[in-house]
Amino acid sequence: MSQWLSEVIAEGQRQTDWLAGHRQQATEALANIKWPVRRQEAWRFTPLLPVEKRSVSLAAAVEQHGSAPVIDGLDAYSVSFAGNKLAAQQGSVPAGLTFTLFSNANTEQQATIKALLSQVKPSHHLFGQVNDALMTEGVYIHVPANTVIDTPIRLSQLAASVGDQHLRVLVHVESGAKVAIIEDGFGDADSLNTFVSEYVLDAQAQLEHYRFAMYTQQAMHVGSCHFKVGEKAQLTSNIVGYGSVLSRLDVDVEYTGEFANANVNAIYLLAEGELFDLHSTIEHAVPNCTTEENARGIVGDRAKAVFNGRIHIHRNAQKTLAELNNRNLLLSRRAIINTKPELEIYADDVRCAHGATVAEIEEKALYYLLTRGISRSQALIMLNFGFIQELITQIPNIAISDWLLHSLRERFVSMEVK
Amino acid sequence: MSEQIEQALSKQYEAGFYSEIESDTFEKGLDESVIQRISAIKNEPEWMLEWRLKAYRSWLEMEEPEWAHVDYEKIDYQAISYYSSPKSMKDKPKSLDEVDPDLLDVYNKLGIPLHEQEMLAGVAVDAVFDSVSVVTTFREKLEEAGVIFCPISEAIKKYPELVKKYIGSVVPRTDNYFAALNSAVFTDGSFVYIPKGVRCPMELSTYFRINEQNTGQFERTLIIADEGSHVSYLEGCTAPQRDENQLHAAVVELVAMDKANIKYSTVQNWYPGDENGKGGIYNFVTKRGICHNDAKISWTQVETGSSVTWKYPSCVLKGDNSVGEFYSVALTRGRQQADTGTKMIHLGKNTRSTIISKGISAGRSNNAYRGLVQMGPKADNARNFTQCDSLLIGDQCGAHTFPYIESRNPSAIVEHEATTSKVSDEQLFLCQQRGLDAEKAVSMIVNGFCKEVFKELPMEFAVEAGKLLEISLEGSVG
Repeated sequence: MSQWLSEVIAEGQRQTDWLAGHRQQATEALANIKWPVRRQEAWRFTPLLPVEKRSVSLAAAVEQHGSAPVIDGLDAYSVSFAGNKLAAQQGSVPAGLTFTLFSNANTEQQATIKALLSQVKPSHHLFGQVNDALMTEGVYIHVPANTVIDTPIRLSQLAASVGDQHLRVLVHVESGAKVAIIEDGFGDADSLNTFVSEYVLDAQAQLEHYRFAMYTQQAMHVGSCHFKVGEKAQLTSNIVGYGSVLSRLDVDVEYTGEFANANVNAIYLLAEGELFDLHSTIEHAVPNCTTEENARGIVGDRAKAVFNGRIHIHRNAQKTLAELNNRNLLLSRRAIINTKPELEIYADDVRCAHGATVAEIEEKALYYLLTRGISRSQALIMLNFGFIQELITQIPNIAISDWLLHSLRERFVSMEVK
Repeated sequence: MSEQIEQALSKQYEAGFYSEIESDTFEKGLDESVIQRISAIKNEPEWMLEWRLKAYRSWLEMEEPEWAHVDYEKIDYQAISYYSSPKSMKDKPKSLDEVDPDLLDVYNKLGIPLHEQEMLAGVAVDAVFDSVSVVTTFREKLEEAGVIFCPISEAIKKYPELVKKYIGSVVPRTDNYFAALNSAVFTDGSFVYIPKGVRCPMELSTYFRINEQNTGQFERTLIIADEGSHVSYLEGCTAPQRDENQLHAAVVELVAMDKANIKYSTVQNWYPGDENGKGGIYNFVTKRGICHNDAKISWTQVETGSSVTWKYPSCVLKGDNSVGEFYSVALTRGRQQADTGTKMIHLGKNTRSTIISKGISAGRSNNAYRGLVQMGPKADNARNFTQCDSLLIGDQCGAHTFPYIESRNPSAIVEHEATTSKVSDEQLFLCQQRGLDAEKAVSMIVNGFCKEVFKELPMEFAVEAGKLLEISLEGSVG
């Protein structure tokens, strides 16, 4: 076991708040965990060395915590966390739903939260359990049946100061209800940030979900989003990843009812020596569900991207439709991409396909633009960026898609195009 | 419909007979003295024994790999006999006429009439029975062309420089658990050397047969194609039907020098175990080839046997402009488990590779494709295309795809595609409407599914592979 993990366990055991029972379960499980080495499949391409070297210390609240970037035109209820505390909020809680901070929960709410915690997150996630043991603040959102919430909710984690932050999000969307939730993380301070969210979608619920892992530099991030998708429920999830010294996101979707569908789009844009690792698992445990997953990445400089997309079709999950596509562009000789789209299929009447490509810009396309008098560097930007723009334009919220287009383009232009 | 499937899938294994042939078999168990005895029986030079012992010592330190998508009872390496030889082989026959007729009978029964093959010019066969090579046909004719084709035990004595230089050069002693075990205890196998610029005048072929009980077969094949040479090599395998599992851990090394071309085809039909998963061969094989400049290695495999398969024929594309190909059909039924695929390691410029893998799962079997395509930083303009298709027959089986793609070169292009489907009712209906019975229809659909791979097989093998598939699938959908 690593020194870091034993410190996590000790710290988790030291906490005596109302979550102590939950923390204890996690520390017990962590005590029996084998610290991942390279041979372990889940961490094969993402060395945990930077974590191993750390010692556990929670980030303290600082006055200059900065703020999450403004998304122009987005009318949302925004809450941001820094130094393990609520740092700022804007707007008001949309009518029709309940929004509870773990630190403010009354006894009744505490009981509800305890009953919901770790019901969606599979137990094999190491850092999910670290979050279980150490979570410093959390949000519980409950959307009652048949309630349509028009105002999106934005939850931001700011890596503004040195130390660790562990944020937890629990969302229950009841049957027929509809909501949009944006989770994002920013900052570059020398820190370790776990950000674990769990979603329960009841029958016919609709969730528009965003996760932007935009941590950079020394801000380590090991986050996850877990979804249970009920009958005829609809999930769309849009993911954007920047890289830092270590950034890893796990996305798990499990269908619990038939005729549900999920649409997952992911974009990663990496420069310098950044690392971003996206692992997704789609569990088709029931028949008649549909998944479409598209991940596209551009990797420049000495950056490294890891993608592992797994689709698991269980024995009785007949009539499943599942498609997974991962496309990558490498911009530099020192950049690395490791991708593995996996299919595990135990039912015969299904349609399943996956594809992965790694390539560079087609010479013909480049030539075409050059003949039109566009400079080489401009042409490269157009072509490369067009590649991910396709996914951005599918985003239903115009304000978010405009903001992403702008910030991704800015980031891309600042990357050195050869 | 499902009853018919069941019936068809419980079809008997046709090569499952055991032959009463007197043999010298080592007692079970493995330690350094066993390796010394194997080496002594084969009259090996000192360096070979040293090499084996080094491999054995590293094997002791290694752990059995567990990452494959297969599940089997742990192997007791002390319950296996590491050497078995037919008694009549004590004084090795000089020609086919001197071979024990009982042994020849075995090969006749298997449909490999060695005599006939000698008459009808075409294929030179090296027949390996348990731990020894029984006979190698056509040697004189091959020698005229300068081609060396002989058992590896003989090559170690006759051509020590060649063997010493190349053995372990592609699959190192400590490459993996089973390769290390093989390096320590390998008993026989084929050795091929094709001199510069020579196009081998006929197909070369090795036929492996496990006969004795409680033995493992550990053969080692080494093929060296010198500059500008061409060779096509075929490999076939069968074993008797038994309740116990038997281990087959082979190593195949291919060296394709500049502009050389090696085509390696396998029809693997080891005993797959019965419908409840009892018995059968554990086929844990390491096959790898290295391509120098402008060279080409093509692997074609039809895998229908073995209870558990763990096999990844690979190409190291070291030289510029070299080409690697992998064409595979893997059929699993009953409780068979296959985890098979390939590795294409692109190191040189303008290297190209193609992977076509067709997996067919039926019964309660599991069939996984596992592959790696790696583009090194110097592999400018390298290109890979991979297609993995799975066909499921019945709803109790599994089909899996685990492709690893690792690229470090911006000018390299990797494409991977995978699909999964079943034999659809519409397809069957259409065929039946045209007067085909259900069995024929399925066989036709599956053959169509595998066509891209079958067309890569040498003609004799293509026929055998087609038949094998037909037998395995007969009536599998009604």
